[in-house]
Amino acid sequence: MKKDKLYQIPDHVTDVILESVSDGVFTVDHEWRITSFNHAAEEITGVPRDKALGKNCWSVFRSNMCEIDCALRRTMKEGKRFVDTSAYIVNNKKQRIPVVVSTSLLKDESGMVLGGVETFRDMSLVEDLRRELDARYQVGDMVSRSPSMHRIFTILPQVAQSDSTVLIQGETGTGKELLSRAIHELSPRRGKPFIAINCGAFPDTLLESELFGYKAGAFTNATKDKPGHFAAAEGGTILLDEIGDLSAAFQVRLLRVLQERTFQPLGGTKSIKANVRVIASANKNLADMVKRGTFRQDLFYRINVVRLDLPPLRERKEDIPMLVKHFIAKLNRLRGRSVAGIGRKALALLLSHDYPGNIRELENSIEHAFVLCPEGQIEPHCLPDNLRALVSRPTTNAKIDVALQSVEVQVILDALKRNTFNRLEAAHDLGIHKSTLFRKIKMLGIELPKIDGRSKRKRAH
Amino acid sequence: MKVALTVWENRISPLFDCARTLLIVDITDQTETGRCFEPFHCESPSSRAAKLSDLKVQVLICGAVSDLFANMIETSGIRIIPFVAGAVDEVIDAYLMGAISSSKFKMPGCGTARDNGYRKEN
Repeated sequence: MKKDKLYQIPDHVTDVILESVSDGVFTVDHEWRITSFNHAAEEITGVPRDKALGKNCWSVFRSNMCEIDCALRRTMKEGKRFVDTSAYIVNNKKQRIPVVVSTSLLKDESGMVLGGVETFRDMSLVEDLRRELDARYQVGDMVSRSPSMHRIFTILPQVAQSDSTVLIQGETGTGKELLSRAIHELSPRRGKPFIAINCGAFPDTLLESELFGYKAGAFTNATKDKPGHFAAAEGGTILLDEIGDLSAAFQVRLLRVLQERTFQPLGGTKSIKANVRVIASANKNLADMVKRGTFRQDLFYRINVVRLDLPPLRERKEDIPMLVKHFIAKLNRLRGRSVAGIGRKALALLLSHDYPGNIRELENSIEHAFVLCPEGQIEPHCLPDNLRALVSRPTTNAKIDVALQSVEVQVILDALKRNTFNRLEAAHDLGIHKSTLFRKIKMLGIELPKIDGRSKRKRAH
Repeated sequence: MKVALTVWENRISPLFDCARTLLIVDITDQTETGRCFEPFHCESPSSRAAKLSDLKVQVLICGAVSDLFANMIETSGIRIIPFVAGAVDEVIDAYLMGAISSSKFKMPGCGTARDNGYRKEN
């Protein structure tokens, strides 16, 4: 064989290659009938080749693009290739499979168009890996990427396994109960009950009967025995929420229970052994309360075995996009909705708020948006009024750069509106060069209407 | 009885999840007594199920449907005949004649027991 002579690949080799690739490949004729269908296409769609050949591509491929924006149709119409369009298909088991699709024209040696070719890749594994990666930032129902929360996530398995009493401190809405649940779920007690009780919600006598139960005849109308939360949580975990709100008298009673691991129901004469793990939580700094003399030092040291401090949301704003995504997915699942995500402007608004109500407030804002925007993307008009007000009136508490950007956006928009969106005149108005204005518009993500003011001006002349 | 079909270009829409038009057919004593088109632009499983319930649909004939949508609709008490393909009039006739489960109207690979379970050869 001469060196300069190209080796001619036999025709059947192309078939072998097509059969060996992991991407699905099919071709269609001008009538959208499938003319070839490789092995990977069979696997991904669940349709055997002999059933697919000769059938219309949409009845085999069944993707969300078929009816609305078919990539292959666009290729056949415009003669252009389309690469890596994201879509999903539904296989014969009603499972949605995420795919990326590429399309091009199918031509013969003379350049005559024979039809189209579509290749598609199953992205399920990538999606699964992405979900697994996200799971690294998730414990129970809590998600975070912030270093302070990661320190908690890292030690949480050991804390959960230890059976020690845990004190969780954090502002209201930071997720103290969620963290308690996560500890319970990671602990050997996970199959047993988890009971949460808000200590600040009851007066002493009622709290005593709620926690320890009562015997028949203990007080008027106590006609039969009633077990308390400690008995109900037997073998499991009890969360004593807002423990800082306990009265001085009740602190003594609780101290005795924690020391002796026994309790006595109201009106009872015998002590009952309590096999319950105690988690206490407070929205106040208990150490400060001890210094002020409003919380017993001995009780503080009894519960402060392992302490976890949950940072407020304003100190971990980097978590907001992830939390928003988490809440959208959660509400979509609970309410059967299909909110696609959040728009950039709406997210900017959420990021510029300081959240005195912490994560609960953020979740409520997303729930509010679900009421007003049941579908599509969450936009600023879907958010609660107090957040929308931030557009025109940046709060003094907001971070300085966010506040300055917000003002800058407003000033540029006002100048553009005054000049019927003519960028050059708006730049003159603002006393800056037009390229500076364009740069700022791009940087601040200001969305402009399609009219640009110049056409109107020309007509006026 | 009202039967809904998701339609596209005079045929059954390939995928219920993103179909945009409903054809509502009134049927009395196995005979079609009327039909009308309804826009179907809602996106979420619950809003799609609610729309079908509001229209008092008892049977839904559609193409492929993902399990999330199918479960939501079946929970609303609506019977689904999924993975149907073909021209709208032919599908309606087949339904009236009790022949909708014929392989002629099934999407490829979604009809018989063999079709429903594509098995790897290796």
